[in-house]
Amino acid sequence: MSLIPGRIAALFGGRRWRSLAPLAVLIVLCVLIAIANPNFIEVRNLVRLANSAAVPLTLAMGLTFIILMGSIDLSVEGTLSVSAMVLVLLAVNDGNGNDYGWWAVLAAIVAGTAMGFVSGLVQTMLRIPSFMGTLGMWFIGLGLSVYMLGGSAIKLNDASIRDLALHRFLGLPVAVWVAFGAFLLAAIIQYHTKLGRHILAIGGDEDVAKLSGVNVVRVRITAFALAGFFFGIAGVLAAAQLGQSHAVIGDGRLFAAVTAVVVGGTALTGGEGGVVNTLIGVLIVTVLANGMILLGISPYIQQTVQGLMIIAAVALSLDRVRLRIVK
Amino acid sequence: MKDTKNFTVNRRTLMLGATAGVAALAMPSVLRAQDKPTLVTSIRSLSNPYHAVWKTGAEAYAKWAGLEHVTLVSEGNSEKGIADIKAMLAKTGGNMVLNSDPNDTPDARPIVEACAKAGAYVVTQWNKPPDLHPKDFNPNYVSHIEFDGISSGKTIAEILFKTIGGKGGIVALGGLISTTAAIERKKGLDAALAANPDIKLLDFQVANWKSTEAFDLMGNLLTRFGDDIKGIWAANDDMGSGALEALRAENLAGKVPIVGVDGIKTAVDAVRTGEFACTVTSDPFWQGGMGLAIGYNAKIGKFDPTKEPPEHREFYGKAVLISHDNVEEYYKTNVDAKPEIDWNDLWGRVTGAIRT
Repeated sequence: MSLIPGRIAALFGGRRWRSLAPLAVLIVLCVLIAIANPNFIEVRNLVRLANSAAVPLTLAMGLTFIILMGSIDLSVEGTLSVSAMVLVLLAVNDGNGNDYGWWAVLAAIVAGTAMGFVSGLVQTMLRIPSFMGTLGMWFIGLGLSVYMLGGSAIKLNDASIRDLALHRFLGLPVAVWVAFGAFLLAAIIQYHTKLGRHILAIGGDEDVAKLSGVNVVRVRITAFALAGFFFGIAGVLAAAQLGQSHAVIGDGRLFAAVTAVVVGGTALTGGEGGVVNTLIGVLIVTVLANGMILLGISPYIQQTVQGLMIIAAVALSLDRVRLRIVK
Repeated sequence: MKDTKNFTVNRRTLMLGATAGVAALAMPSVLRAQDKPTLVTSIRSLSNPYHAVWKTGAEAYAKWAGLEHVTLVSEGNSEKGIADIKAMLAKTGGNMVLNSDPNDTPDARPIVEACAKAGAYVVTQWNKPPDLHPKDFNPNYVSHIEFDGISSGKTIAEILFKTIGGKGGIVALGGLISTTAAIERKKGLDAALAANPDIKLLDFQVANWKSTEAFDLMGNLLTRFGDDIKGIWAANDDMGSGALEALRAENLAGKVPIVGVDGIKTAVDAVRTGEFACTVTSDPFWQGGMGLAIGYNAKIGKFDPTKEPPEHREFYGKAVLISHDNVEEYYKTNVDAKPEIDWNDLWGRVTGAIRT
């Protein structure tokens, strides 16, 4: 059966065409939606699109490195909620008297990084598969937030931190610039550092990487800490956007982030794809959500459309011909 | 900040409560063999503000009545919810009063059956199958309490319509499609819309009860309808507050009124600043305490459930409306201080029997 898509792909020029598939999907989506509702290409809407993509993009940057290694990080929601919790409890809020200003932001990002670091330790030192280890970290993070926030929502009243979402620089909310900065940083790490190449090498074939002198343990721990760093930034942005933090602030973000990474063309098996793919993946998911509202698609079938899009995007972009076994 | 102090006290109480709960569970039943029944609260989770307040109310009643109180949390897992209740029944030998918000509709039956078998008294809230009735489990299944979602959805819609001057377009954010509360509140909205032909429902979208989803959704709705949106109807406050932050990002906060249901603190604050037109609450503090009070009074024979009229066995409680007119008063008595409730007034908030 796997021969048929292979032949179709060959017709269009094989792998080269395929690597551009996500971009093509994005462009086709944009054109279709813009034809159906010209409001889509209004500047105001593009700003809103960028704004709703900010948090998912930052999250997905971190997740990309983990998925590139062939691992998975399920702790996205837990880490994000810990970072948002730390931020809100240390900045001006309506729950306690703290006012540490931008130190709270720093602390939140450090907290996220620490969560990731621990995930890395759990995977490498205790030799627990990332799927289980990070699942545990997810609930540890969630539990910590529930406990510290006393189960309720705490408001963030620090005006300068809220400006991340409310203040605009060159027409875009600061949060968007932060997310873009996160993307640039991730791109530099992936394409211009040893760490980035080692992560790809581990995802491609861990044994070969080890034999070529890659310190697998160190790279894995660093990658998880790096992912935690991005989740921490995302937590800060999410709390700034919503003006509050509650334990479930991360609800649904894991699924959105994994979807974005995979739709962008990064293989769950590792070693293929990268942060540029993920940028496109995040845009596809965001544009799709925006477009479905603009087209007035009934909420009762939106999820179905989303599911179809995911399958279509992955079908177009992944080189499944090379997969001898599909699990 | 007055508020600050209040919060830390609350948290400490919460922690103490949790510790006490764990300790009580750890103690062998012999130690706790006593005449006074144990009060047991079974709720979904402590990570949402609604159930956190529920637990505070339950603890307030237990303290007032001088009884031991244990909170069981199902974490959205029906099996765990039921198993924990059965374990408590075994531990107390049935000498307990249960106030339960069953995780899911079908859960109510095994919970009630287990309690009736063990001789414990039970009150359920929100969820029960339509063919399960307190009168079929006399005297153990004392009452079932719900809040009329249709009336809540209608009340807030009417206030929203009045706030925007009786005409114009609104958008509505609904809850998780399959839940009873979401369906009923939407019915209420539809009823209010039918009575106000000058109000146009631009779009009804679903944000699954969550502020994060409502935030993204609202941005998209603004693109589609722009200035035509004169008001926002949200099926709960959390979604309403997400929509509010989306408005704030576009400098529209306070210009487009929002209404919601639940009465969470963010929403009450927003009613004070005029960003929300109103919210309506079932008063989880009352639900947490009064559910136990009704069960306990039946258990000690203060009243005989079998002789109570049907509207005391299955009833809609009275929801509390918080709008511009009464928000300062509400804030003083419910947010700054712990609410004062007359725990002897068992039937004071009955508004009628549940529709069948």
